[in-house]
Amino acid sequence: MTTLFDSTATVKAELNKQSYIASDEIATIVYLAEKLGKPLLTEGPAGVGKTELAKALAKSTGRELIRLQCYEGLDESKALYEWEYSKQLLYTQLLRDKLNDTLGKADSLAGAADKLAQEEDVFFSERFLLKRPLLKAILSDQPSVLLIDEIDRADAEFEAFLLEVLSDFQISVPELGTLTAKHKPLVILTSNNTRELSEALKRRCLYLFIDYPTLQEELAVVRLKVPDLNPKLAQQAVEFVQRLRKADMRKSPSISETLDWANALVALNASNLDQATLEDTISVLLKHEADLQKAKRQYINPPPPQQPKSKNNYDEFGRFSGN
Amino acid sequence: MESRILQLIAALRASGVRVSLAESAESFSAVDIMGIQDKETFKLSLRATLIKDVKDIPTFEKLFPLFFGTGAPPMMGGNPSDDMTPEEAQMFADAMRQFAENLRQRMQRLMNGEPLTKSELEALGQLVGLNQADNLNYQNWMAQRMMRALAFPEVREALKELMEQLAQMGMSRERIAEMRNMIGQNMQAMQEQINQFAGQRLAENLSDRPRGDHVDSLMNRPFQALSDADKKLLGHEVKKLAAALRTRIALRQKRMKSGQLDPKRTIRANLKYQGTPMEIHHKDRIKKPKIVVICDISTSMRFCSELMLSFLFALQGQVRKTHAFAFIDHLESISEDFSGANADEAIASVLVRMPSGHYNTDLGWSLNDFQNEYMDTLNGGTTLIIVGDGRNNYYDPRLDIFSVMARRASRTIWLNPEPPALWHGDSDMPKYAPLCNNVLKVGNLRELASAVDELMVG
Repeated sequence: MTTLFDSTATVKAELNKQSYIASDEIATIVYLAEKLGKPLLTEGPAGVGKTELAKALAKSTGRELIRLQCYEGLDESKALYEWEYSKQLLYTQLLRDKLNDTLGKADSLAGAADKLAQEEDVFFSERFLLKRPLLKAILSDQPSVLLIDEIDRADAEFEAFLLEVLSDFQISVPELGTLTAKHKPLVILTSNNTRELSEALKRRCLYLFIDYPTLQEELAVVRLKVPDLNPKLAQQAVEFVQRLRKADMRKSPSISETLDWANALVALNASNLDQATLEDTISVLLKHEADLQKAKRQYINPPPPQQPKSKNNYDEFGRFSGN
Repeated sequence: MESRILQLIAALRASGVRVSLAESAESFSAVDIMGIQDKETFKLSLRATLIKDVKDIPTFEKLFPLFFGTGAPPMMGGNPSDDMTPEEAQMFADAMRQFAENLRQRMQRLMNGEPLTKSELEALGQLVGLNQADNLNYQNWMAQRMMRALAFPEVREALKELMEQLAQMGMSRERIAEMRNMIGQNMQAMQEQINQFAGQRLAENLSDRPRGDHVDSLMNRPFQALSDADKKLLGHEVKKLAAALRTRIALRQKRMKSGQLDPKRTIRANLKYQGTPMEIHHKDRIKKPKIVVICDISTSMRFCSELMLSFLFALQGQVRKTHAFAFIDHLESISEDFSGANADEAIASVLVRMPSGHYNTDLGWSLNDFQNEYMDTLNGGTTLIIVGDGRNNYYDPRLDIFSVMARRASRTIWLNPEPPALWHGDSDMPKYAPLCNNVLKVGNLRELASAVDELMVG
C-alpha cells in the first residue's frame, strides 16, 4: 500500500488546501492513523469539524467518501450488506432455459442435482449482494475514505458488527466466506460523546479529541471561510464567541455557528459589533431560549450592578428549602 | 526509552486508565514511525494510541512530563560569586563568617549556582519517606518536606541577613540587587528540581505498585465498611451493572412482539421464498425502557448514597429515559446534574446541593413534591425504583400518594440496605412494603448485582 502523506507537514498543507485548518495535533494523529492503517476515532463537542475533517481528507487524497450515518436501530442489513432476493429470482426466471440446457444432459436425478450444485456459486455471488456502506468501502476498487458518523447514536450491539471491519478490514458473509479489503480504506469514526463506547471498539482505534479551537485558530478559520468580513470585526466576533463558550450555556456555539454568524454579519454589512447588531444576530449563535436570555442579560444589556441576583431559598410552595 | 514507556503505561494503569496489551504494543509502533526527535509529536503518538477517553487525557498530561521531563536539572540563574572584585569577595567572606557551618555551605551553593546531584536528591527522598508514597497528590507536600529538610526557610532568612550585612559593609546597591536576583533564580531552579524529582519518583512508585485486584472481596463487603478508595474501585463494577441492566432490558424488548403483522418486512423477508410467506414478521412495539428512581441521600443513607448515585449516573447513561430524583426533606430532580460526562463531579454536586441534616428525612413530604410536579413521569411501562431505608422520623408516610404511584408504574421496586429484621423504630418499611412488587435488600454490591437481575426477571 502506498502512503498518502510523507510527513505531518504535508497532511497539514493538503488539508489547508481544502480550507480545513488542522492543528499540529490533528495533523500528527491523522498522519499516524494513516501510517499505522488504523481507524481514527474523533470525539469532541458538536460542530468542531469532526465530519469536516473526513470530508477534507477525502478531497485532499482524491478518494471517494463513503459515509455511514449512525442512528438508533441501525442494523447489519443497512450497514453491511443484504442479499438482493428479487434480482436472484429474476435471474433464475430468465436463465431457466439455460438451466434446462445444462441439466438436460444429466441422465439421473442425482446427476442433475450435482450439476446444479456446480452452478450454485452463480446465485450466491457478489453479483447479488446489495452493498451497504461498510461493504462498499471494503470492496471498492479505488481506495476510499470511510466515515462512520456519530457512532454513539447507534446501539451498543451495533459496535460489534464494526469490530471485524475495523481490525481486519474484512467482512464475513456466511454464504460467500470472508471478503477482504482490496484497498484498506481510511476510516474515520466520529462521536459526540453522548455515551461511552465499548472498550473493544476503542482499542482498535487511534483517539483524537477535537476541542473548541483557540482564539487564533478560530480567527484563522473565519478569515479563510468568510474572507469578506473585515479583520477587525472578525477579531471582535471571535472574541465574543470565545467568551460565550466560557459562560455556562446549555449549548455553546460551535465553529459552524461562528461561521454562520460571520456570514450574517457580512450580509448585514455590519461594520462594528454594536448593541443593535448583536441583538439582531445573536440568535444565529445561540439556539436555546434560555441561553439567548442569559447572553442578552450578561453581554448585551448588562443589568445595573446594584441588583445582585439573590438565590431564593424558598420553593414555590413557600417552604424554606435549605440553608 | 522502551522501559520508560512501559513505566508510563504501568503508571497510567495504576492511576485507573485502562490500557490493553494491544494498545501498548501499538504505542511502540507509533513511536517507531514518528520518531522521538520532536517531543510534542512523541507525546501525541503515545496519547493517540494509549488514551481513548477524554477524561483520561488530564492523567496522561500529568504523568507524561514526569517520565519524559527534560531530565536535565533546570537552568540555574547564574553565578554571582564568579565576577566579584577582590574587595567584594573579601566583604562577602567577612559577612558569611557569622553563619553556622551548614547554613554557610548551603548559601555558598546557591551563590555558585550548583544544582543538586542525583545522589543528594536520592538521600533527601529517603529522608522524607518518598519511596513509600505512590500518590501523585503528595507531590507538592513531599517536595515541601524535602525543601524543609534542606533548611530552605532558614537559608532564605540567612540570605536576607547576608544582603543587609553586605549593604552595611558598603557594597553597591546594584551589585546587591543583582546578586539577590540571581540567588532567587537559583533557589527557584532548585525548588523546581526537587519538585520534578518528587513527581518522577512518585510516578515510578506508582508504576511499580502491584495491581490490586481485590474487587471481588469488595463485592461482598457491606457498604458501611467501604473506604473511599474502595468506592472508587467499585465505580467500574457499578458501571458494568448498569450496562447489564440495559442489555437485559434490550433483550426483553426484542422478544416482546405484539401481534400486529408488519407487511413490508414480511414481504421483504419472504422474497427468498418466492413471496410465499414462510417467515412472518411482526411490528416491534417500540417500547423503550423507562425508569424513575427516587434515592434517599439523608444521613442514615449517607454511607451508601455515593455508590447508589454512581449507579444512578451509570443507569442514566445507559437508559435514556431515566428520571432520577433525590430527597432528604424534599424532593429534587437530579437528572440535570447527571447529564454531564463526569460521574464524580455530578455526584459531588448533588451531595453539596443537598447537605444532610439531623433527623430531617421526610419521604412523605418528598412524595408530595413528586405528586405535585413529576407525577407525569410515571406511566405504563415505567419501572419505579426507590432506594432508601424507609426511616421517616415518624412523619406521615403518605401511603395514599405512594399507592397511586405504585399503581401508575408498571412495577415498583424498593432497594433497602436494611434487612426486614431491622424494620422497626421509625422505619415505615412494613407499611410501604406491601405496596411494592418487590423489596430487595441491597447491603453490598453483590446484592445490588442480584437485585439488577431480579429487576429484569420480574
